[in-house]
Amino acid sequence: MTARRLPAPLHPGVERGSLVRIRFDGRTIRAPEGEPLAVSLFAAGIPILSRSFRFHRPRGLMCADGQCGWCECEVDGRPSVRTCRVPVRDGLRAGGEHALPAVRRDLLGLLDLGSRWIPPTFYHHRFLRPRRLRKRYLDVLRWFGGRGRLRVDHGRAIPRPRPVERLATDVLVVGGGPAGILAALGAADAGARVLLLEAEPRLGSTWAWREPFHRDLLTLKEALAASGVDVRTSTTAIGVYRTTVTALGPETQLEIEARTVVAATGAREALPLVPGNDLPGVMGARTVEWLVRRHGVVPGERAVLVGAGAAGMQAETALEAAGSRIVSRLEAGAIARILGSTAVRGVRPTQGPTIAADLVVVADRSPALELPLAAGATLEWSPTGLRPAAEPDGRTSVPWLWVAGSAAGRGSTDADPEAARAVGRAAAAGPVAVEALTSTSSGALRSAAPPGQPGRRGAMVCFCEDVRVDELDAELRSGTTHPELLKRRTGALTGPCQGKLCLSAFAACVAAGTDDAVAPPTSRPPLRPVRLGDLVAEDAG
Amino acid sequence: MTARGAGLPASADVVIVGAGIAGLALARALVARGVTDVVIVDRGYPGGGATGRNVARIRGMQLTEELTRIALAAQATYDRMGEELGFNVLFYRMGYAWLLYEAAEVERMRGIVDMHHRMGVRSRLLDPDDTLRLLPVLRGGEPVAGAVLHDRDAIVHHDAVVWAHLEHLARTPVRIALGTEVMGIDRAGATVSGVQTTAGTIATRAVVNATDGWSAGLSALAGVRVPNRPLRREVLVTAPLRRTLEAAVTFYRPQEGWFNQTLRGEVVMGVVDQDEPAAVNQASSAAFLRRTARVITAKAPTLADLTVIRQWAGMYDVTPDHQPLVGPTAQLAGWWQLNGWSGRGMLLAPLSAELLAGWIARGADAPAPDMLAGFLPDRFPPDADAAHDDADYYARYARRA
Repeated sequence: MTARRLPAPLHPGVERGSLVRIRFDGRTIRAPEGEPLAVSLFAAGIPILSRSFRFHRPRGLMCADGQCGWCECEVDGRPSVRTCRVPVRDGLRAGGEHALPAVRRDLLGLLDLGSRWIPPTFYHHRFLRPRRLRKRYLDVLRWFGGRGRLRVDHGRAIPRPRPVERLATDVLVVGGGPAGILAALGAADAGARVLLLEAEPRLGSTWAWREPFHRDLLTLKEALAASGVDVRTSTTAIGVYRTTVTALGPETQLEIEARTVVAATGAREALPLVPGNDLPGVMGARTVEWLVRRHGVVPGERAVLVGAGAAGMQAETALEAAGSRIVSRLEAGAIARILGSTAVRGVRPTQGPTIAADLVVVADRSPALELPLAAGATLEWSPTGLRPAAEPDGRTSVPWLWVAGSAAGRGSTDADPEAARAVGRAAAAGPVAVEALTSTSSGALRSAAPPGQPGRRGAMVCFCEDVRVDELDAELRSGTTHPELLKRRTGALTGPCQGKLCLSAFAACVAAGTDDAVAPPTSRPPLRPVRLGDLVAEDAG
Repeated sequence: MTARGAGLPASADVVIVGAGIAGLALARALVARGVTDVVIVDRGYPGGGATGRNVARIRGMQLTEELTRIALAAQATYDRMGEELGFNVLFYRMGYAWLLYEAAEVERMRGIVDMHHRMGVRSRLLDPDDTLRLLPVLRGGEPVAGAVLHDRDAIVHHDAVVWAHLEHLARTPVRIALGTEVMGIDRAGATVSGVQTTAGTIATRAVVNATDGWSAGLSALAGVRVPNRPLRREVLVTAPLRRTLEAAVTFYRPQEGWFNQTLRGEVVMGVVDQDEPAAVNQASSAAFLRRTARVITAKAPTLADLTVIRQWAGMYDVTPDHQPLVGPTAQLAGWWQLNGWSGRGMLLAPLSAELLAGWIARGADAPAPDMLAGFLPDRFPPDADAAHDDADYYARYARRA
């Protein structure tokens, strides 16, 4: 994989910041101020940003959305920071974690060669004898565990508590991408008081740099300013707790009482369930488009496009404008393996010759499920994975919850902007039944059989814990069919991403291995990883 | 082994309700004593209640002599468990420290450390400097007055304990019916005669209530009154970190809280809400995140840089004297209690189950095992109210010290 920089980002009107110096693992890099650190490192020829927890597999920039965690590094002494969220500034110091001696060449990567002899249950019948060495064995295991390093020697100041701000609204829209903005406008048109939360500093998500939608976004933002919608940017919803939604703003913690909630939280890459699906160079289509348009960084020269999602067309257009080529288009089911050891070298299809490529662009996306799951919404299977079971107007099984845009798993807002506006109007009418907003935290599953074929042997299902398809299968065959037990025995879904990338794949594996219609395991708050110091707030009881 | 409801036997010598550590350990101990016609019923999955939700600290040092004696014996059951069951439960002597923040606490602890030494527990009272050397994460935090450290206290992996028992029980005649809820208890006069479940009725003369947080409800179903009070406790866990914390920590001032690192490197922590209402409630709360973040970072400010990835809640089953209920009751023959752990279920259940199994095998009329003398269910009158806790943690134990 060879990243190259274009003279300027493709998107008109975006200028790079002036070059500043940063350091990564002892190497000095010149990078544009304000650019996400992960992008700068990637563009500087550092494709491996982290090593996976169990087998030290190389991982690089993938979702660029703060979800996958593959870009976690130590930044200015802080452990395990998602570098796609960190703007570059002069003098910044970063480094790889969890590697011997460095993430670029990690001797512990040898563990991956023996991974089939180290299942998640490997310790069950081992390390008991001789008795006097029992603690030593566990000391060694402990050494292999862990990830980031906490610098404790000098202590630090006690964090100052943030004030808690209590808000009440008719409609709370979570997510300020196009769907969220349109839903907020729809609800405001219907006369509702509306609160709109966006985790990023700016509204618009992909529409901020996507042709031709960035012009529509300007119109939407003007409409929003005139609508009376309370817009909070840099504000992240972190949990649904019974009757309130808790969010973290730039200076306050918000406790929001809403009559109805619209989840416009977008979608995630649905990575193909084939071996090599976690190699550096496997990237979301949206990430590819964003790198080229927003940052002028071209992630590869020969790309294989996987899946039929609309995001793929956008990535293709951007890559071609930047002088790279899509050499093949494949459905996920037509791939046997993604080739490469530390970066993508090619793709082996199930039929036909191997395709040489340095980039795999994943266009299939699957809705973000954590908010619907936290609310206790029923799920169902769609062609690309689990999605919230919902009516055409976005209403879910939870009387106060609607889903809009790609979070609904029924096509993108690009194709049908008015659908999201209609969701907002419907949500403004109030809860379907007279019922307090109460989360039950147990999603049921409406339909049993997932479509498509089960994953291939060796494919990674859970990326945080390095759990493969065959490891789940082995547990299922040995009788562990309860999803809660399967989760605990394999560690799948328990890592830092908390199932954001793998819940659908996990559920599909369970469904393939059992006859029952099985609901996914309980989803637990917070909705996103949160720094402990950022949770310090005033009204603690 | 883990049939889902269907195929329940028509009768059994012993029916255990609850497939947590207490129920599983009891089944194992009964089989070892030749009582093999045993059925465990659970409406969820093994370890789905408090067993899978606690952080499995196996602490020998306690505030009273009586509890310390029992806790040391209980810790020894875990030390042996791996070899006995042929399954590594990751028993690891990480060390345990009470952090002290007031001069009065240090004074009180001097007496307790003396008691420990009389009993052969080598706990140590550390001064503030040694406390900071042991736990550098406390640097920059609220000034600490000292600590009591016991190097030999341990943690285990709660799930591994469950799997070790399940694997062992799969080799025995014990049947485990999951997804099976108890709907009623049949009585013949003042004696238990059967258990009605969602999968049918099992005729039996012995029922063991091993449902901890849900035990008062189940006892009520049998017409047995207990003063147990279900109380929610919450936990959060962070992304894994390299080895940083060298002892499991608990503090009581200004309010009770705790943290420790697991073998995998995650840090688990929690700060208790003194006003938590008594109720079965496994919902997580935002107030817990705020409270825990505020109190823990005030004591260990460097922990502010950790990333919280998950939180959950589980149930304590609290009795008025914070000691469990283990044994038969005069209120109903054939009804055995194995609950009321008051936050010490992971520690005390395997030992208590062993003792109770012997008692069940000998019959309710046999004398109580010595170590269960303080745990007998009938120590409270049937009309006892669930007492409210002293706000002062130490005061709960001072009466008995």
